[in-house]
Amino acid sequence: MIQFLIKRLIGLVFVVIGVTFITFIMGYFAPGDPIRTMLGEHFSPQLYAQLRHAYGLDLPWYEQYWNFLVHLAHFDFGYSFKTQGRPVWDILKDGVPVSMELALWALVIYLLIGVPVGIISALKANTWVDTLNMGIMLVLYAMPIFVFCVLVQVLIVFIDQETGANWPVANWGEPWHYTWTDIQFKLAPVLVFGLAGAAYFARITRTSMLEVMRQDYIRTARAKGLPERLVIYRHALRNALIPLITVTGVTLGFTITGAFLIENIFNIPGIGTITVSSVLDRDYPVIQATAVLLAIGVVLGNLLADIAYTLVDPRIKLE
Amino acid sequence: MDMRDREIQPASPLIAPDTNLMVPAEPELLVETPGVIPETEGPKERKPVSPLRESLRRLRRDTRAMVSLGVIIFMVLLSLFGPFVYQHLGGIYDSPDNGPIPATVYRTFYHQELSRQDELPSAQYWLGTDDLGRDILARLMQGLLVSISVAVLVEVIDITMGILVGVLAGYFGGWIDQVLARLTDIIFAFPGLLFIILLTGIFGTWADTTLSNVPIVGPNGNARLLLVSAALALVSWPLMARLVRGQTLQIKEQQFIEAARTAGSSNFKIIWRHIIPNLFSIVVVAATLDISNTIIGEASISLLGLGVQQPGSSLGLMISEASNAVDTHPWEVLVPSLTLAILVLAFSFLGDGLRDAFDPRTKD
Repeated sequence: MIQFLIKRLIGLVFVVIGVTFITFIMGYFAPGDPIRTMLGEHFSPQLYAQLRHAYGLDLPWYEQYWNFLVHLAHFDFGYSFKTQGRPVWDILKDGVPVSMELALWALVIYLLIGVPVGIISALKANTWVDTLNMGIMLVLYAMPIFVFCVLVQVLIVFIDQETGANWPVANWGEPWHYTWTDIQFKLAPVLVFGLAGAAYFARITRTSMLEVMRQDYIRTARAKGLPERLVIYRHALRNALIPLITVTGVTLGFTITGAFLIENIFNIPGIGTITVSSVLDRDYPVIQATAVLLAIGVVLGNLLADIAYTLVDPRIKLE
Repeated sequence: MDMRDREIQPASPLIAPDTNLMVPAEPELLVETPGVIPETEGPKERKPVSPLRESLRRLRRDTRAMVSLGVIIFMVLLSLFGPFVYQHLGGIYDSPDNGPIPATVYRTFYHQELSRQDELPSAQYWLGTDDLGRDILARLMQGLLVSISVAVLVEVIDITMGILVGVLAGYFGGWIDQVLARLTDIIFAFPGLLFIILLTGIFGTWADTTLSNVPIVGPNGNARLLLVSAALALVSWPLMARLVRGQTLQIKEQQFIEAARTAGSSNFKIIWRHIIPNLFSIVVVAATLDISNTIIGEASISLLGLGVQQPGSSLGLMISEASNAVDTHPWEVLVPSLTLAILVLAFSFLGDGLRDAFDPRTKD
């Protein structure tokens, strides 16, 4: 176990260094001079040199990279290019709770809808229930998430027009507040996001459940006369849900990229929106910070999933 | 193979009338029968069928995959020849702003007819107009062309790199294998879309200025597409390489490889003649499924404003333009969204069908 953890941690460090290096080098080689753009018409050679120095851009690239890493280790993401002197974290911190809220609720829906649908499909395998479920899930899974968003928006508009309701098609409301207006804002994006992921979970759960139902110990359980309900809940389900732990870790990547698009379509002021607007403004420090943060998040998520996996299932040996 | 077809051909007319009488409702039976006939005809031995042919036959029976293939072919033809046909079907329009103009002008994806904004479908604009009075059908066809071109370009790079690195890593192992493993780790850890956002965000304006005047890839706001394609290929090839590597590892342990080596074949010849041909099915399936991701990727990037630029068109760009006015003109957002959904679903269904056809054991 310890050996496995150490091995994974070394791998993790490697990945993080790779990711930081890629993001750094891309920012470094980015065409155009950020300081010059920043100064605009206020350009003067002294001011230029002063600012270059302040941002550490006059150093050779390896020193810049080293500083970048050292600052990262102190959770210091540097300063924005666009709004001078504003720390990157200051820009990101409003978006973080919003994105976390969105992702968390989405995850809840993945599990609350995806897993039961998958189980029902597996138990009723090859009946019309299964076919219908899996048909819907397949379409939800394969369709681009933003198309799903847009279709839901069109549906909301249609309902609004037909019933005279005033359900909002965009924006978010206060993060982590749940008054009726907040819920109205949040329901559609959360549902869209959740259902898109639930489709994936449903497929995985179904496959896993079918696999387990074929096992010998299920036959044994039935043979000794256990009621079907107990066979399913006590023997099948517990084993079938184990692979979902890994899947939950893997879906982090999906959750992040999905959030970028959902935030864009529903006009939600989260990390994704901030990153995209920084990209459009060429505010590299902000972009680098989000890229590194998200990558670390994904790697850590996978690691946690791996650890949880071994804790839940003692049969699994870690190399 | 051709021999087999010729042998069977004369048999069909003999059988056909009977089956036609008995089951007139199922014409597919006629297509299926040739394979079965030799058995009913008598002792004539059934010739061994090549795995590829067998797979294609399975694919032909898969209605969903065949419908998807039809949709894909239709979309490709539409994007290639659609604009030409469409522009030659329209008459002269007497525009209040521009005077009399032919369809080759007003049915282009960039012409703005400002007195005709946000219209629903009509005889002149088959799918209506957008908020700048541009022909939605023309923009849709251009968007499809962009999606399909990007998909083709990305898959060419993806397949080339995937086979090259995957075969080398699988066949020789060693440092190439190590580098590939680390690279895939990074790619899996790093959300692909985020990487593409980074790359296009940082080098996008550079691409705009340097590539805009290059013919074919540059004009119509497409300057960033090369960048987007390169980025998409960059995040997709390691996965292909990993699949190829796995398959190569399996193939190289098989006896025919040993036989080839005993017969004195060089490594290069073994790879070229024995390994690469055996990768066909896995590569085709993976590439088809990856096309869905690629098309979604390009559309996502354009949706975020980092891909195709105005006045160009892309399905993602159309959705992003129209989604601001979703409450007043839902039609404009529905058209590109549904087209994109259909295109993407078609590729995933075809990919699933191909996978089931090539390897029936994986069917879940």
